[in-house]
Amino acid sequence: MDIYEKLSILAESAKYDASCSTSGTERKNTGRMGNASCAGICHSWSADGRCISLLKVLLTNKCIYDCEYCINRRSADTARASFEPEELASLVMEFYRRNYIEGLFLSSAVEGSPDRTSERMLRCLELLRGTWDFAGYIHAKIIPGTSPELVHAIGLAADRLSVNIELPTSKSLAILAPQKKAEGIFTPMRQITEEIADRRQLRSGGDALWDGGKRLQYLDGGFSAIAGDEKNSWRSADFLSEDASAYSAERQSGGFPMRRNGGKNYKEVFAPAGQSTQMIVGASKETDAQIVRTMQTLYQTFRMKRIYYSAYIPVRESPLLPSLLTPPPLKREHRLYQADWLLRFYGFSAEEIADEQNPFLDKDVDPKMSWALRHMDLFPIEINKASIEELLRVPGIGALSARRIVRQKRRAAVHFDDLKNMGVVVKRARYFITCCGRFYGESSMEPELIRGLVSNAETKRKKKSKYSLLAINDKQGKAMDSADFNRSIEEESSSAAMIPGSPEECEQGEQLSMFSLSETGGKEETV
Amino acid sequence: MTDYLYDGSWQGFLTCVYYHYYEEKAAEICPEIRYQTNLLRQAKTIVTDTEKAERVSSAIERKISPYSLTRAYAAFLADEPDKERFILDYIVLGFRVGGHLDDLRGREEVFRVQKLAKQISREAERFRGLLRFSVLKAGDREILYGKIHPRHNILELLGEHFSDRFRSEPFLIYDGGRGKALFGWGGNWETAPFEEKQLPGFSQEERDYRRLWQRYFHVIAIKERENPRCQKNFMPVRYWKDLPEFSAKEVMK
Repeated sequence: MDIYEKLSILAESAKYDASCSTSGTERKNTGRMGNASCAGICHSWSADGRCISLLKVLLTNKCIYDCEYCINRRSADTARASFEPEELASLVMEFYRRNYIEGLFLSSAVEGSPDRTSERMLRCLELLRGTWDFAGYIHAKIIPGTSPELVHAIGLAADRLSVNIELPTSKSLAILAPQKKAEGIFTPMRQITEEIADRRQLRSGGDALWDGGKRLQYLDGGFSAIAGDEKNSWRSADFLSEDASAYSAERQSGGFPMRRNGGKNYKEVFAPAGQSTQMIVGASKETDAQIVRTMQTLYQTFRMKRIYYSAYIPVRESPLLPSLLTPPPLKREHRLYQADWLLRFYGFSAEEIADEQNPFLDKDVDPKMSWALRHMDLFPIEINKASIEELLRVPGIGALSARRIVRQKRRAAVHFDDLKNMGVVVKRARYFITCCGRFYGESSMEPELIRGLVSNAETKRKKKSKYSLLAINDKQGKAMDSADFNRSIEEESSSAAMIPGSPEECEQGEQLSMFSLSETGGKEETV
Repeated sequence: MTDYLYDGSWQGFLTCVYYHYYEEKAAEICPEIRYQTNLLRQAKTIVTDTEKAERVSSAIERKISPYSLTRAYAAFLADEPDKERFILDYIVLGFRVGGHLDDLRGREEVFRVQKLAKQISREAERFRGLLRFSVLKAGDREILYGKIHPRHNILELLGEHFSDRFRSEPFLIYDGGRGKALFGWGGNWETAPFEEKQLPGFSQEERDYRRLWQRYFHVIAIKERENPRCQKNFMPVRYWKDLPEFSAKEVMK
């Protein structure tokens, strides 16, 4: 089998991995080839609008597991292939030279045993870092069940590590992927978190909080005082978090050397870009409230840099899974990403975003708007008096524009006309603010009224974009007859512009609001 | 009020700013080649004077802020006919208000320049990713050759990034629309006028890698999520002609 076929098969098998970020590491060229940029660089965008910045492949797609939702499960009838580590390393180098890619995203199906597979992955990474002196970006997947020594060694070669949590609760994991155990997933996750924390401890002389500390405290306290909520009770969340917090409780340092002496000069820190994870949405029966709680637990316990959500695309008929005709829940995925941003950058807690009364996120308006409409008693807020935490709660004001408002109001009052120049989405924000004492919204503050106005504006905007609607009609209208079904696809797909792996966060600084949802035609959208 | 005509260089522009303060106020600053005679005003051609330019630039740095100087320069790289007027307004306001110029986002003068500068840095960032090299062979030596058609004059903003990344290989980035190229070798770089002539063709190896890349590009897309509008938002069609992933024909040759 030649490399062309191998690449076709192994990229095809890897395409459902959402992460394609290349951010979080700033590294000058210390080897012969390559560097890494903290903000990340996207090189191309595939037909589905997701960015391509890493060569995303599996080392092999021969798998011993038989997970229901997976295209590479043992019982699936697909072509199988595997790369030789040497072959893949030189392919990466040739692509990198031509500036096609930013580095490698290496994952694998489990061939033989987790350790055997990981050893081969490690071999490939060591070739890149050692023989080729490659200083570009590497994202490595850790296979659940890999032994700690191998995780450590892979972490020293890679920039970012990730262990896929696969499904939002351990219950659905047991149903859909019976061979994978929640414990097998959490053990390497915890190891990675600890090694990163330990390294930072070494470096910053006794300060055990890593640099995300500031933000995480913020996450804990947040706005809840204003919103009148109890300090969040995520520890008692009903699933998963139990496993997770059990791990964080017995936190102990692993017995690994933190620095390898006499190593190569390219890098010797463990996973400088942190860890991320991914879960499938829509394959199992969780509510959004459960998913959002899981998110929060993962961010707090494992200090994840990112969590990715992938809308489940039916791959097979099975009594355990949604039918083959179900369109992928793209809208839901989009709302979950928005909720994720609220958790990380806006000081929201999981309970504020979704709870038992509202188990699913609102499809018509974004989660922040929907929170605001449930708390109309807190609004309107006077722009010139509000703190940054309060500003972040206003729909239409994003992290960047909130900072700009705070900066300007030190010098001069912020007027309503300034808001647009500052990047505020005025058509959403105006119902919730006053500017220099004046209110610019409708005569009534009735939530239902505002809701109607806001979601109408959104539909109108979408009507204008004929392109995406036509494309969908052409493709799917022929295959399906039911008009209702078509409409639901339109609803789902026309807003499917969320990009899981966009240039994304540089964790701090202005970069974070570069995250743009293409729905708005390239304009920055603030949730 | 006079129209100042200059040679199109940054130094030349700063010299005009100098005359704007020390002689007559400028009605318009315009590159000489683009100027259309105006019956109502007289025009004066300014000879670039590095010393005067240096004085203006250090004054901006000291009396406004180094950041504002960088921002003004970034805006100057824009492909925007009115950029000279925008930047002049920005600098004039800056000398009036001083260091907190860039906090005044509400002001038209600041906003316009900020917007231009942002477009420039966006496009430069974009081309860090969208630039594609091909390996050209001349004898036993290899050079990485990449051609781009950016909207703004961003070539020099790519120098630092790529010269660091390809420290051990010589490369050449050609701005097809402006007839300029950036040469990089061993961590250094410089720009110079360039014409695309007598390039060696692609080797078989190069064609194979292009084919692999196209294949990868095709395979990685998830059909159920296809969204051409989103793709074009991130990667406007005007850039496609220089991207191997969209040129299937060339590879068949």
